[in-house]
Order: sequence, then C-alpha cells, then structure tokens
Amino acid sequence: MSIKVPEDRAVPFGAITPAPVLQQDLFVTSNWRIVRPVIDHEKCTRCHTCYIACPDSCWAFNEKEDQMEWNWKFCKGCQICIYECPADALEAVPELDFEDGVYRLEKPF
Amino acid sequence: MEAFDYKKQILEPIKSLPKAPKEEMYLPGHRTCAGCGPALNYRLVAKAAGRDTIFIGPTGCMYVANASYLCTPYAVSWIHSQITNGGAVGSGIEAAYKILARKKKYDGPFPNIIVMAGDGGSVDIGLQAMSAMMYRNHDVLFICYDNESYANTGIQTSPMTPYGANTTFTPPGKMIPEGKTLFPKDPPQLVIGGHPAVKYVATTNVAYPLDLMNKVRKALNVPGPTFLHMLCPCPKGWKFDEKLTLEMGRLAVQTGMWTLYEWEDGEYKYTRIPKKYKPVSEYMKYQGRFHHLKEEHIAKMQAFVDQKIEKIKAIAVEAPVPTPKAGA
Amino acid sequence: MAQEKLLSGCAAAAIGAKLAEVEVVCSYPIRPYTAIMMELSKMVANGELDAEFIHGEGEHAQVSVVLGASAAGARAFTGSSGVGVTYAMEVYSPMAGGRYPVQMSIADRTLDPPGDFGSEHTDCMSARDQGWLMSWACSPQEVLDNTLINYRVGEDARIMLPQFVCQDGYFISHIPDKVVVPELAQVKEFLPPYAAPHPLSLTCPTSHGPQIRPDQGAPMDAQRAITFLSVPQVIEEATADYNRIFGRNYDPFLEKFMIEDAEIAFFIQGAHANTCRNAVRNLRNQGIKAGMVRLRWVRPWPTIQIAETFGNSNVKAIASVETSTSYGGAMRGGNLIHELRASLYDLPNRPLTTSVMGGLGGEVILLEDFYWMASKLTQAVKDGKTKQNVYWVGFEE
Repeated sequence: MSIKVPEDRAVPFGAITPAPVLQQDLFVTSNWRIVRPVIDHEKCTRCHTCYIACPDSCWAFNEKEDQMEWNWKFCKGCQICIYECPADALEAVPELDFEDGVYRLEKPF
Repeated sequence: MEAFDYKKQILEPIKSLPKAPKEEMYLPGHRTCAGCGPALNYRLVAKAAGRDTIFIGPTGCMYVANASYLCTPYAVSWIHSQITNGGAVGSGIEAAYKILARKKKYDGPFPNIIVMAGDGGSVDIGLQAMSAMMYRNHDVLFICYDNESYANTGIQTSPMTPYGANTTFTPPGKMIPEGKTLFPKDPPQLVIGGHPAVKYVATTNVAYPLDLMNKVRKALNVPGPTFLHMLCPCPKGWKFDEKLTLEMGRLAVQTGMWTLYEWEDGEYKYTRIPKKYKPVSEYMKYQGRFHHLKEEHIAKMQAFVDQKIEKIKAIAVEAPVPTPKAGA
Repeated sequence: MAQEKLLSGCAAAAIGAKLAEVEVVCSYPIRPYTAIMMELSKMVANGELDAEFIHGEGEHAQVSVVLGASAAGARAFTGSSGVGVTYAMEVYSPMAGGRYPVQMSIADRTLDPPGDFGSEHTDCMSARDQGWLMSWACSPQEVLDNTLINYRVGEDARIMLPQFVCQDGYFISHIPDKVVVPELAQVKEFLPPYAAPHPLSLTCPTSHGPQIRPDQGAPMDAQRAITFLSVPQVIEEATADYNRIFGRNYDPFLEKFMIEDAEIAFFIQGAHANTCRNAVRNLRNQGIKAGMVRLRWVRPWPTIQIAETFGNSNVKAIASVETSTSYGGAMRGGNLIHELRASLYDLPNRPLTTSVMGGLGGEVILLEDFYWMASKLTQAVKDGKTKQNVYWVGFEE
C-alpha cells in the first residue's frame, strides 16, 4: 500500500524549517497599516529611538546616506516610532495618500 | 573531576543605542499585533544575545503569532516547546551540548540557550519546569516575558494579571465588580527565594531598551541558571492605543506598578526609582482593562503598590547602566 | 568476549543503554522501572558511562528533557511505569512528530486507581496512537536486545521515530535470568552513531515546529503515516543483522511456538508467554494440538505477518490473552483482540477468535488457566463458534 501527498501540499520533514535570513517574506504585513510614518530628515537627530522602539525592525540607519530608512514591506503602522521620536521628526500620514499605499497580496493567506 | 572548558561566551556591555549590534536576530515578518510589547522585547533580547543562540519557545503569543504559518522570524535556531515544559526542553538542550562537547562531537562556542516563556509558561503551567531548571544548575537563561495574561488564547487571566483587570475569565459583573479579585505572584522573588544555584535575577521593561539589552547580556554571562522578568505591555490585552506601548512601560515604573532591579548573589540594586511616585490611576486611566473599576478598587491597588514600595531597601545612588561582567 | 550474567530486566535495560552509549539520561523514580535509572546513575558516577544524568522533576519533564537533548543532536534515554507513562503523554506526539528518536524504557505497571505495583500493559498501550514504535520483551535478554534494536530502527535515517521498549513490571523487570551481554565492539558494528538530520545548531539555524494552518495538518500526519509503512522492512533488516552479529534467533515480529500443525493457539505478548510456552508443551503431551504466537511489536502492528502465520496454519481458534484493558472497546475486554481480528479479516477461512483477560493487576497466569482457555477453544472449534467474546480468568467456570 502507499500514501502520496500532492506536491503542492508538501510539508517539511518533522515541521523543521530553515531559519530566515534578513526578513521573513512568508509573512508580509504592510497591508495591515492605515497610516505610515514619514520622516523629516532635517529634524531627525539620528538618536536611533525609532530604530530601537519598532517591534518589527522597520527602521534602520543607512550609514552611507547618513539617514534613517523605513521598511515599507513590514511596517504595521503602530505609530510607536512617531509617538517616541524626541525630535518630532516623524508624522503619521494616511496610507492611501501614497501611490504605493495599501500593499496588495498576490493571493490571500 | 577537572573542570571542562565548554567555551561559554562572554558578551561585552552595550554602551549606547547607536552602538547596539546592527544585526537583527528577530526579523521583520511575523503575525504579532501592531505595537506588540512582547515582540519588541523578543527583538531586543535576540539582538543582545547575538548569533550563537538557541531559543526555546513555549506555546503562547511569542510562539503562535511569531511562527505562523510554517515560518518563523528567528534568524537563530529555535524550537517550539509545550507551554508546560520550556524549562525542561531547555535543560535537555543544555545537557546535550555539554556531552557533545565532552565527547568532542562539538567544538564551537557554548550556545546562549534562552527559554522565552510567557507569564503562564513561567509561573503557572510552566512553573514546575522553570523551578526545576533553576534548581538543577543548567547554564540557561529563563525569561518570563510578562504581558500579564494568557494573551494568545484571547486574554484570559494568569497569575500575573493585576488585581482589578478585566479579562475573559475575570469579567466584571454585579457579583464581582472588580473583575479580578486576586493579586499577582512575584516571579523574581519565587526564584530568588528558593534556588541556591541561581546567581542573577533581574527585571526589565521595554521602555528602557539599553538597560534591557545589558541585563540580557549579564544574565547570559553569569554561569548557571538566570532569570529575567520582563514587562511587555500588550495593547490588545490591556486595551490601550498601540502607539503607547513604551509609554505604558514608563508609567509602570513611574507609578511603582513595576520596579526595575537586579539581584546578584544576594545583593539588590535598583534603578530608576522615582523621587516621587505618580498615583496608579495615572497608569490605569489609559488601559481599558481597568475602566470598570470604582474608587475603592483603585484605592486597593494603590495600597498594594504602596506596600511593594515600602519593601524596597533604601538606595543612595542610582546604579549606572549595568555592565555585564567580563569573565565568569 | 560476550559475557553471560544473571540480570533482571531493569539491569539488562541499563546495560543496553550503556552499550548504546546514551548521552543524555533523564530520571524520575516510580516503581518498578526505577532500578534502570539507579543502575545508570551508578555507571555515570563511577565513570563507566560518560553521559549527562539529569534528575527530572516528573515524568512529563523526563520526556521533555530528552526531547530537547535529541533535538540538539544527542542520543537520549528515559523511562517510566504506570501513571508516569500516562502523565507524560502530552509530549509523546511532539516527540514523534518532531522526529526525535529517543528511547523510553517502560517497565509496565497497572494504572491507578488505586495504587498497584503489579504489571498491566495498559500504561503503554494507551499511548499507541501517539506515533512511537512500541515493542514488548518476554525476558531480560530480550530487553537488552530490544534496547539496541530499537535505537537502530528508530534512528535509521528512513525512520527517525521515538521508541517505547516495554517489559512486564516485576516478572521481567525484577526477576533475574541469564543474559548474554555483548561486547561494545559488537554493538558498534550493529548500531551507528545518532545523526540528527537538522539538529539545533549555531552554524545551520533551523526552526523546529512552527505553527501550521489546518490545511497543512493532513500532509504532516500523512508524512508520519508514510514513514510507518517503511518501518517493517527496517525492523527485518535490523533483526537479521542482530541475529547475525550477536548469535540470536529472533523472528522480527512474532515468536511462533509449535504453530506448524496447531489447531488452537494463544496470541499473547510479554512475560506470561513464558508460562504459555510450558502450557503448550503440556497440552501437546495431552494430545491437544496447541500453539503460541507471541507478539513482539505493537507499533508497527505486524498485520501481514499475522495474517500469513495464521492463514498458512491449521489454527481454527485463537485466544488473545489480554494483560491490558479497553473499557467499552468493541470486544468489551482488552485491546490486542481488535487488531488481531483486523489482521485476520481478509483470510478466506478466518479462525475463531476470543479474548481472555489474564494477568491483570500483576497476577500470575497459571498453567491451569491456560488449560482452561484451551478447553474453551477446543469447545469453540467443535461448536463452530465462540460462546463469549471475552473471558475473565479466575472469575468464571
């Protein structure tokens, strides 16, 4: 006798998956947000508060450009960074104001 | 028997936020709520611990919300455990690495082994395994990430839920106006009070990330079992606006609802003790889980906190940002 | 040189584990398996065995500790009895589904209520759906042999499953018998080191056991079911190798005793098979063509082998001797009978089967009890049907 699992439903051995590198693309969360944080680089003091306060690691300091960079693919729009910024350099702007706003998934979860 | 060199790692202190390691070990791409306190906590712990780390994840928000579906945000090795046995699975991993090193089947650095258990997985259903690990002298860090409820199953009361909190197992009603009538356990005191092998216990708060990361490194440096009680405000469970996650952490410290301290081999060191404590109502007013409470209930909470504050021994000077000990 | 020693089942299990060079052991005391751990702790203390000996805080913790150890790449060993076995049950499926091939050495004990130190098989039988390999020994020699065979089968790259290695409490675990203890060199020829396919490592990080969606559940289950299809072949290879290297003579799945021309047969597992063999010999001397088939593996159940054995025989009636309970089960008795009947279902001439509850609570099954069972079987053959689905030894005429 034999049992066959269809190829498109194959699952890893023992539910053991390789660790992700840099980001987990199987769980994009940009479509969660209704506002996004917009940064004023003039006001920004590079204090790194936004970087350290984001549960989704969506702020990183780009050393070459000498400015904070925002990750649009994963930001959930929680606004912690906006609230915490001591220099008032971040502003909540509605997601629909942007051309690349409201990220659409190719297929639902 | 001569001591065997298991090549335990020693992590240097982090002097400032820009000097924190750039690498993320807890990556973007997880199903946690926007503004999730435990997620931010995990990220900071993983950042401080570095690449040579193995996490044990008992069932809870930091399992289910992180690891859905068949994928995880952990750049380092991680294993799911039952909510009952985080301490036991961690003990087994530590024992395996010890014997594999002795038998020369492994010659790398001894991994930082960290159990990331919620309040339930630490002091309720997971208490037995946690205590046994503390007793058996395993070189493992046990973390209680405290969001003060069984959050993943939809916010039910746990032994860490504060008095007066509205949860789906402690709803307020005519017969029980305050909702929750019991006061919470004290996890660091449970550990400090009865486990001779433990030499370092500390509390942390996501609102103070540098302090948090350095306490993680210190706890990893100290040999044997160590315990961290980490406050992780939960916007969904506590019912506050998600952008206030760090603000809730700060208010917890400013009102005395949370005390930041280290206990090292018998000695207590406190940080950020307010010169003048704010009333607990300042903390509770932002959180929907307390909005049903009457004056008399808030007064009862204030009395509890006042009693806690009394117990803190006098400190002359604020301790500086903790410097992880270099060398065992 | 292989040495012959007088060993109890517990001591034999401990020596088997030592020869397997287990690396992490987790103990907790409960009668009657405790002596396995006492022996191992002595071996560790005096340097005979280099292993981490962890004092678990309970049976659930024991299984959890060895799960972590196996995930990290160490060969792990634990054990229990009775309610300890059922207390740990939460962790059995995570162990099997995670594919961590630990071994749990079980000395059976009747389940509470109330306390009873005697042997029943229900403790482990109630875990047979959890996805582990499961086998029963009937002598201390077989305990030692099964310990090694199970590590070999369980850790096979095609299998990677945890194993319950069971023996009757007291009858096997505590009564010494002759055991030929192999040399380490022989064991090394038989049993390769444990090689976890994806251990928890620093250089090649993996995530073990992320949450899945419901539609991912069936494929996970199917993967485990597919593996079980391969286990019988691996058992056959391993047993053949074992027989060759250590000079034994095991049939991989079933001990067949005087079955060739038998007309009635006993289907049995564990310690009471020793009495049964003597009963069969005595019945033969009385002119009654009795035989015995002793079940060695419960998981995987040797369906084909049972069908072939009885299909190619003259056996007309079988008594399934049950030292375990299945309250409310289809036959209202034990549980071997259900899978025995399922194995025989497709035979053109199915033998009659009935189940006999014997040895419960740790009582001895007497030779007279086997003769009594034989009379029931002989009557059933005459009648062309069994009078009862289940008999209780000692309770009825």
